[in-house]
Amino acid sequence: MTDFKKDFPILEKEIYGKRLVYLDNAATSQKPSYVIETISEFYRSDNGNIHRGVHYLSEVSSEKYEKAREKVSDFIGARDPAEVTFTAGTTDSINQVACSLEPILKGNEVLITGVEHHSNIVPWQLAGAKLRAIPIDEDCNLLTDSIEITDKTKLIAISHVSNVLGSVNPIKEITEIAKDHDIPVLVDAAQSIQHLPIDVKDIGCDFLAFSGHKMYAATGVGVLYTSERFSDIMPAKGGGGMVDKVTLERTTYLNPPLRYEAGTPHIAGAISVAAAIDYMQNIGMDEIRKHEHNVYSYARKKLLETDGVTGYGNTDEMCGSISFNLDNIHQYDTGMILDKMGIAVRTGHHCAQPLMRSLGTEGTVRASFALYNTEEDADMLIEGIEKVRMMYA
Amino acid sequence: MRDAVQDDIIKQFDGLEWLDKYGLLISFAKELEPMDEKFKTEENSISGCQSKVWIRTYRENGKMIIDLDSDAMITRGIISLLLKVVNNRSPRDIVDLDLYFIEEIGLKSNLSPARADGLASIIRRIREVAKREAN
Repeated sequence: MTDFKKDFPILEKEIYGKRLVYLDNAATSQKPSYVIETISEFYRSDNGNIHRGVHYLSEVSSEKYEKAREKVSDFIGARDPAEVTFTAGTTDSINQVACSLEPILKGNEVLITGVEHHSNIVPWQLAGAKLRAIPIDEDCNLLTDSIEITDKTKLIAISHVSNVLGSVNPIKEITEIAKDHDIPVLVDAAQSIQHLPIDVKDIGCDFLAFSGHKMYAATGVGVLYTSERFSDIMPAKGGGGMVDKVTLERTTYLNPPLRYEAGTPHIAGAISVAAAIDYMQNIGMDEIRKHEHNVYSYARKKLLETDGVTGYGNTDEMCGSISFNLDNIHQYDTGMILDKMGIAVRTGHHCAQPLMRSLGTEGTVRASFALYNTEEDADMLIEGIEKVRMMYA
Repeated sequence: MRDAVQDDIIKQFDGLEWLDKYGLLISFAKELEPMDEKFKTEENSISGCQSKVWIRTYRENGKMIIDLDSDAMITRGIISLLLKVVNNRSPRDIVDLDLYFIEEIGLKSNLSPARADGLASIIRRIREVAKREAN
């Protein structure tokens, strides 16, 4: 089996004298040496502010930044790099859309799903929209047959993959329904961009949001894809770098993508996203998918076979996260003991309180996988769980 | 100022491996008298904890009686220790008490304000009540 651990220096670290088993990838992924060195190299030899200098470093930085945009554009199958803007992350991307569409959303309705995290709930509420969730069945499949679109429905905003369950939502089916009603669709790809090949043209969405840090790049940088047909929406943020002419009476804006990137962006971050894409493409997204699928299926099967383990969610296609609880043991207690064994998992409600309510639990233990995880990591997790059960027996 | 109860707790944890430390915490958790369900209200709960914590306080013969409970065992273990130290003292005593045992038994990470666990907020709440009672 392929082991990519050697590419990630932090994974050599020992925690409390134990080899680190990092299973909190849905929260943030670790970074390969290639990405770390690219960031370091940028600050060491290229750092200048972009799009506003005539000097050499500004030129080099601008070129690298725009190359990064092209790389992202190709990676997600956009028609044009102008459809790609760099943001601060998934949450920022979604907030920008909510802010730009506020005049349309206010007093109307956004259709989400029953598995959303707070980042795909709160921004719409702030924009004054009412939320309605596409219901889920007991396995957490979206009940797409029961999608009901009314005159008030102005946007559908759905996660591609659930951050809690790892369930893959049928986004294409939903964009097709949306098309029949001419309603735009935003896809939150925070938990899928690092696992699944994504083609925005094929998906047929109008917006796609994701973060750099979950796909092996830096924190504080993300992407918002906006399809051409929404290229003239109002920018959510104003300031330097996004304007054409400014007078005290009136301001005109640059064309996308710069219109949507007010102020100095996270230049090194954007470049790190491109480096992360290079790293992933060098392995191949299909290869990553195959490897992750094997490890994920192995872990899930073994976990659910373990005595006293209850798993949540069970859809046809799953990736990334596995959520579970141990009988009569609080998630927090499980997480604390696993941590002392060098196993990093997340516990709690995972910023998805409505989903927790429908699962009928206060929280879960979540083990989430990335390309460097192996079957051995899964075995360590199971071993850890046995120890937890022994300790609380 | 050193405190006999805390020193005794520190001695019990001294030299233990983490696994045994947690084992000991769990045994303290099991010792803790559960709080009556009727007091586990929203009003009595302390927010900011990754596990749920409920607190109830009242005065008896000039001393403060504190009742704490949690749904997680590790948290129960820690609050069980905390109660050994703070319970049944005068409010003034509680206000002045230096809770050094938490750091010395190696549970400092639980105290960090950034940690959602919120032991710090439990202690803050106890001190607030004690301060009010002392005045």
